[in-house]
Amino acid sequence: MHYSTLKSFLITTRKPKYFLFLILPISILIGRFLPFLSQPLNDIGLTLIQLISFPAIPLVLSAVVISITSIFSSKEEQDLEKNNFAKTLLFTIIIFVVSFSFLAVLLSLYSKPGILSPEGKLSIGRFMLDVTDINVVVNSNPIIEDVVKPSFWKSLIPTNIITDVSSGQTLKVISGSILAGLGLSALPKETSQPMISFLRSLNTLSVKVLDELLVLSPLILICLIAGAMASISAEIIVALLNLAICILLASVASLGVAKLILRKFTTSAEREKFDINPADSVFLLALSTGSSMACYPTIVKSLQEIGRSKSGTEASASLSLLIARLGNVVYNVIVIIFALNLYEVRLTPLVLFQILIFGIFTGISAAGLNGVAVLPTIGFALAFFAVPLPPILILLIAIDPILTLARSAITGVLSLAITTISTR
Amino acid sequence: MRRIINCLIVIFIFITSFFSSNISEAVEIDYIKKIKDRGSLIVGMPPFNNPPYYYKDSPPEIEDSKSMRGNDVELIRKFAKNLGVNVFFDQSSSSFNETVNRAGAGDFDIAIGKLSTNYSRMSNAHPHIYMNFRQSLLANRSFLSKFANVPEQNLGSEILQSNIKVGFISNSSYETSAKELMPYAIKKGFSNWDECKEALINGTIDAIYRDATEIKKIVYQDPNLSIKFVPVLFDDVKDKISIYLSTEANTGLSDVLEYYLDEEEIKTDTQILNEFSNYYKPILSKK
Repeated sequence: MHYSTLKSFLITTRKPKYFLFLILPISILIGRFLPFLSQPLNDIGLTLIQLISFPAIPLVLSAVVISITSIFSSKEEQDLEKNNFAKTLLFTIIIFVVSFSFLAVLLSLYSKPGILSPEGKLSIGRFMLDVTDINVVVNSNPIIEDVVKPSFWKSLIPTNIITDVSSGQTLKVISGSILAGLGLSALPKETSQPMISFLRSLNTLSVKVLDELLVLSPLILICLIAGAMASISAEIIVALLNLAICILLASVASLGVAKLILRKFTTSAEREKFDINPADSVFLLALSTGSSMACYPTIVKSLQEIGRSKSGTEASASLSLLIARLGNVVYNVIVIIFALNLYEVRLTPLVLFQILIFGIFTGISAAGLNGVAVLPTIGFALAFFAVPLPPILILLIAIDPILTLARSAITGVLSLAITTISTR
Repeated sequence: MRRIINCLIVIFIFITSFFSSNISEAVEIDYIKKIKDRGSLIVGMPPFNNPPYYYKDSPPEIEDSKSMRGNDVELIRKFAKNLGVNVFFDQSSSSFNETVNRAGAGDFDIAIGKLSTNYSRMSNAHPHIYMNFRQSLLANRSFLSKFANVPEQNLGSEILQSNIKVGFISNSSYETSAKELMPYAIKKGFSNWDECKEALINGTIDAIYRDATEIKKIVYQDPNLSIKFVPVLFDDVKDKISIYLSTEANTGLSDVLEYYLDEEEIKTDTQILNEFSNYYKPILSKK
């Protein structure tokens, strides 16, 4: 079989019908009937994800710098238009963040995650036995902390953009890129042009590499789902079914909203240029890679194909994918409500408002974090409500291989929606 | 003549061996002689059924030594067998402390029954350690969320120095330990362990205090509880469980008891939990 045939076959399998009728059944069958393969498959899946993440940092760096430069360095006659774009983008992001966190609250009130049946409580209780025990020593020398505690704000400030890139500190890379973009936009065009050209080349290269690597996404999906099916306790999945359903519902609702927005904010002439609905492609891509950043090339390419401006789509897609992180916001709101329900905290209107605020801030503060690294961000909110974090984390980690896919899908499709609105 | 000499030698050997066997069975240590003359070892036990250490089907006030079961019971039965006597279990004391006091006063030959060791008890009777358990709390997770930012290495001492509302069995060694270890805690004694558990579950107190086997038993037997409550195990604060003897009994029995305990392994809480896993495992049908 030629590489081109294999590649076109793998690309074809990224369509929804192949996902539902080919990939999902194969993965479930492998996971259920060949459980001894779960660990190797899981390892292969994670390795492939690591491979896909390889062009992420140069992509983030180049996309953000180019976007910021293109927004702020404009000719006089374009100033008004650019200003409007920036305002629309900011306004759209704020509206999306608030409305989707509100939707997450409504979905949680409907599906009641964390309110468990006696069997569910028993399953969770059994799952927590021994693993959450706290072993302490009393007669050790207490640690006197002379080191300044790591703070969120400090983690935002870039130290040296090259060091930050090489050490993979995404959050610092984003803030450093914004500053670099602002600096570039302030320079005369002839001075900034060589750097912009270099960044454009770097961006094109990163997108191309990512695009080629994404061919592997159906294989990643099979490995991860099969691995998860064999390794995740079915009992825990059943016990946490309400939580999983709530997050999956949120991802499906996001897909619906993204499709609706694509319909409302594109002309019929624009829609005719689509081979496949980009919302479906982005949704499946995020589901199969667990990485919302992997959707960046698809979002940009789809909207450029219908004639949207290159700089606008790049700016909007990169900022909404990297900073707004709607998947994390929605996920955190649902998970906080799950924790509060589990510990029988009454959900008064005031508490729901507090959850909304905490969900938004902890979700956005997870910018630059992926996978299970996102989970501890809810600790601040749980401490406020006097709900313990460790048992919640253990439960979330147990089903995170499934939920992380939905979380990325929400970020991906809503970024597409934001980009569609802001570049109209 | 030679045959006569041989016969005399055989008779001499027989008579010598007869007398020497009588000599070897003679008991010179008065206290052991007293037990052997009595034919039974009188063992004091606390007035509870406390499986898997000591329990029987009938209530503690009914004397029925033969139906007694458990780790401590079997340990003493084997010791008594080595002495060549039976065992009589006496559960007529009213508390753990009284059981130790009565052992010290000579009411029993020895006292056993998961009795902790502390300075106060050592003033009343002589301890011989046979189990070594970690002291533990079963704490409300919501209370512990206050310590979310405390470094792991300081967590134990921070909890003990806090104003935690802690419950324990009155007149037990844990009452004494709580006074020593938790100076700022709001301490509340209960008449039995079930009352301690009830107070924790209904939120009257933040934690209950006992050894690791008793703490883990609660969550093993009702895993639902591990959602709200978590065992906090103090790795370096041990509850040394002892057999207690009076001074007179200790003078007579100390060497033989230490020799016997040396042959038996000093068990840890983990060993007990593994050895009696059938007893500790979760009740699957419980809702």
